[in-house]
Amino acid sequence: MDYGIEQRDRDDTIRLRGRLTFNDHAKLRALIGEMKQAKGQRQTLDLSSLEFVDSAGIGMLLIAREEMTAVNKTLVLRGAVGQVKRVLTVAQIGKLIPIED
Amino acid sequence: MTTAADARILVVDDNRVNRNLLLALLERGGFHHVEQAEDGNDGLARLELFQPDLILLDLMMPRMDGFEMCRHLRADPRWKSLPVLIQSSLNRPEDRARAFSVGATDYVAKPINGGELLARVRIHLTKRALLHDLQRYHRRAQSELALARSMQERLLPSAARLTSTQEALGIAIDAHFAPSSELGGDFWGERRLPDGRLAVYLVDFSGHGVGAALNTFRLHAICQQLAAISGEPARFLATLNKRLCGLLPFGQFATMLAGVIDPMEGVFHYASAAATAPMVWAPGDDAPQLGDGSGLPLGLLSSAQYDNRSLPLPPGGRLFLYSDAAIEIPVGGDVLDETGLAALVARHRDREGDAFLAALLADLRATGPIDDDLTALLLTRKT
Repeated sequence: MDYGIEQRDRDDTIRLRGRLTFNDHAKLRALIGEMKQAKGQRQTLDLSSLEFVDSAGIGMLLIAREEMTAVNKTLVLRGAVGQVKRVLTVAQIGKLIPIED
Repeated sequence: MTTAADARILVVDDNRVNRNLLLALLERGGFHHVEQAEDGNDGLARLELFQPDLILLDLMMPRMDGFEMCRHLRADPRWKSLPVLIQSSLNRPEDRARAFSVGATDYVAKPINGGELLARVRIHLTKRALLHDLQRYHRRAQSELALARSMQERLLPSAARLTSTQEALGIAIDAHFAPSSELGGDFWGERRLPDGRLAVYLVDFSGHGVGAALNTFRLHAICQQLAAISGEPARFLATLNKRLCGLLPFGQFATMLAGVIDPMEGVFHYASAAATAPMVWAPGDDAPQLGDGSGLPLGLLSSAQYDNRSLPLPPGGRLFLYSDAAIEIPVGGDVLDETGLAALVARHRDREGDAFLAALLADLRATGPIDDDLTALLLTRKT
């Protein structure tokens, strides 16, 4: 997995690319750290270029939400497709994190 | 063994004056357990009894020379990592290269520089001690993981248990359980209910390895404490979820499918916490019918509610449950997914239980690498 960040006054968008799995733990930890420091109150993870997420990856998205809540930021997931969209739907992640198309 | 006082050093040299020189030098360096040998044969003979931590080896000797002795001892697995420090008056680059090619650890040229020789001896002894520590740690980790794995396998129903379930209820269960490392985050169980019904569940913890495995023991204990799933799988999951929410660190969770086969009614009642879609088919069906696995994973939100769902399971009908490793196998840019798996299941749908699992697993492995714990359960109504 890798990512790119796009900042716009109060709204940061982070685009995740590739596969988000168990092995990306350290990388996502670092990203969450950056998101906590960022200016934007609203942190959007753009998942449209993410091809695959496993259960550990879902766990990391939930940790990201928890960490954002702790610093009064909002986490939004956007644009999931394919397997990623199916997994988010089956696990009803929309009940915990706002999901936009 | 790390201290000079304990280290055992074998000096192999045909020249008595040289041996005494080395002995005196080692003595000054604090090494008191030193044994001497006068050629390669003598050296090899003394290895067994003396069990050295390091050998100081001359090259040119009668009967068996140093090259030959080194080659011999390296062929024995017990001496594979023993430091062999060559001390020789042969000093051409090709001699050094030849010594290293037969397994020498290091090389000092005669005439000996005492300070340098002692320094090298100490370096190699330290390295050996560190290597031993690492090997000991590795062996311990291996044996503990093996023990933990056998404990984890004991969480699963035994073969004898499955036979008696089949005799009692006419429901055969075939199972495949394969953690991706020594320990896994999957487990499953069955429980016979008094009125001829059979409760079954399959759990898959997020992640894999030791952390996920420890969670399987936790959940197994909770499942044992709770009353059986009975007719209300959704309530069973909601109760389990509440218990797990207080236990799991944030970001860890489990997916689970829990259900009850009711042979009288011909129905499989189930509830799902983000599990894979259960599949059922009856004799004569062309393809399996997929259930609905959606629901919040266990351990995330204590107020989570689950839905009771059902699938038909008439006499002769089959129910297939599996962990998500089976549908996350990469295919081109996507993954196999439930529809892909259903197509493979359809191919083998009429095979006997163990043959069904073997054929399906062969197809899955041929599809792509399976890099997570894989559990697959086939339940067949024999009556």
